[in-house]
Amino acid sequence: MATVEYRKVGKSFGSVEVLKDLSLEIEDGAFVVLLGASGCGKTTLLRMTAGLETVTAGEVVIDGRVVNDMHPRDRDIAMVFQNYALYPTMKVRDNIGFSLEVAKKSKAEIARKVEEAARVLNLTEYLDRKPAELSGGQRQRVAMGRAMVRDAKVFLFDEPLSNLDAKLRAHMRVEIRQLHDRLGATTIYVTHDQIEAMTMADKIVLMKGGKIIQEGSPDDLYDRPNSRFVAEFIGSPQINLLDGRIEAEEGAVRFRARHLVLDLPQAYAAHAGKAVACGIRPNDVTLDPDGAITGTLQIAEKTGADVQFHLDVEGTEFVAVAPRSAYRHGGERMSFAIDPEKLHVFDEASGERISV
Amino acid sequence: MKLGVLSADRPLVWMLPLILMLVAFTIVPLFYNIWLSFHEYAPFKRQLVYVGMENWKAMFGDSRMWESFGITMFYFVVVLSIELVLGMAIAMLLDEDEFGFGLLRSVLTLTLVVPPAIVGMMYLLIEDPEFGVLTYVLSLFGILDKSTPILATASTALWGVMLADVWQWTPFMVLIFLAGLRSLPPEPYEAAMLDGASAWMTFRRITLPLMSKVIAVAVLIRGIDIFRMFDYVFVMTSGGPGTSTYTLSLYSWQQTFSFIKWGYGATLSLFALFVIIVIANLFIWAAKVRW
Repeated sequence: MATVEYRKVGKSFGSVEVLKDLSLEIEDGAFVVLLGASGCGKTTLLRMTAGLETVTAGEVVIDGRVVNDMHPRDRDIAMVFQNYALYPTMKVRDNIGFSLEVAKKSKAEIARKVEEAARVLNLTEYLDRKPAELSGGQRQRVAMGRAMVRDAKVFLFDEPLSNLDAKLRAHMRVEIRQLHDRLGATTIYVTHDQIEAMTMADKIVLMKGGKIIQEGSPDDLYDRPNSRFVAEFIGSPQINLLDGRIEAEEGAVRFRARHLVLDLPQAYAAHAGKAVACGIRPNDVTLDPDGAITGTLQIAEKTGADVQFHLDVEGTEFVAVAPRSAYRHGGERMSFAIDPEKLHVFDEASGERISV
Repeated sequence: MKLGVLSADRPLVWMLPLILMLVAFTIVPLFYNIWLSFHEYAPFKRQLVYVGMENWKAMFGDSRMWESFGITMFYFVVVLSIELVLGMAIAMLLDEDEFGFGLLRSVLTLTLVVPPAIVGMMYLLIEDPEFGVLTYVLSLFGILDKSTPILATASTALWGVMLADVWQWTPFMVLIFLAGLRSLPPEPYEAAMLDGASAWMTFRRITLPLMSKVIAVAVLIRGIDIFRMFDYVFVMTSGGPGTSTYTLSLYSWQQTFSFIKWGYGATLSLFALFVIIVIANLFIWAAKVRW
């Protein structure tokens, strides 16, 4: 177990700068998710941690030691690769036990640990197969097993679930989180899937263009996104954003987008007149005939317990989630209400959150 | 479009030229060779006469045949091993994307375009006791006395011939291995690094198993070639000094064309063919090569 720290880390491939001046501290035993769209530099950061990419600027520190020039084999890191990177010519048993074999552990100990890992991962009956004879999910679990038997300081996961089907992905999310809770090892997990991030992380680090946009707990990012970008990235269905203006008149502070008027907390009075985008999470609205958000129902999607209403509100698509019982057909006018405290207000120009 | 006899559903028409060549230059000579091995040329009658199994009986009792067979096997094992190990080592050194490595890789093909007989001539000069570069360098280090001609000394002549073979054909191994190495996936190597594997461990447990098919094919191609090696000994030593570099193919050539024993020469060459078929198939079976 160990802490991981990035001090003003930079990475360039030729003239292309992938990471810039990135600083981040990861606590001992934390489960940190690096989240971002493809090309944001999250995988590069992970590979630099492992030592598979050189560090072109700054320092990568593991357990208090600068590891910039340390060979990957000396870093004591276990990694699960996106495409699993299994040893194609070895049986599952040898794939999982290879690190132990390298560490010159006794045959009995290797067998014990491999079988233990196989049991946890439901791989026992596949131990004598080669990777080519396994399905994607099984290969993924072999890759996990290979990390599990290690007593590594840090566990790295590089989009390990991206090649799996939805059901298996949901299952493996739980497995990975349980594995982390049992081993208690520092874990850095890279993904572009915000659901994975939200469900697994202690801390999410949202990246864009080689920089950290926001870091914090899943709740922090969901409840207090620091920018329009974060608000749009986190949460499913995606947040609704309405462009308008803050108005203060007759002692009341309001958000106005053409005919739509929403009450805002008093504290926004200082920003009166500012052009803003108002963010409304689809789950934060309630069906209310007197609600301020009114629109024409385009389509209603049943998702099981809930129904998602797609409305046309002031010419903008607006999604609202309501219980299944509220289901109705398209074409109707519908109204929703929202608690002013749950509105997210972003500066129209900079996209930054307007904090009050 | 109508092609008539040339349409794609008449494969025989397309294969005919190859079949004709195969029959004319391989099948017919093979059967003629088998037929020859039961006959012998009688100089006084100036014709081939039937001798039954005489050639075969004579061959198995021929000590010179066994000696040349031994020399061939020794040459085969030593040269193949050196070319294999050296080829793999050089291939791994050249498996880089740094500046200049592409050029180095293409330079390697140069030795392969020189006719083996010319390489033999080159090494005849290189190993010459009077002005040969190799003789000079070896004598500088005190390894070889200048008065010892490499190719005219029984204990060193075969090694002198092997040198030419290794120089010319190791690049062939390198090229085949490079093709294999460069197509290997990078991920298992990254995983092995993180698993803490040393370079040797990575080579032994990951590279070698992944390369096994490529190695098998290279060994098979070179093995067959080495076994029937003729050019170098013919040019460099003519089998000498004495019979110390007489390989099986040289011996069958000598019996056929110098001694005009058509039948016995054919028998010897058939024996060589038989041995190489057995060795090759044993190897294919053992190395689990699938075509």
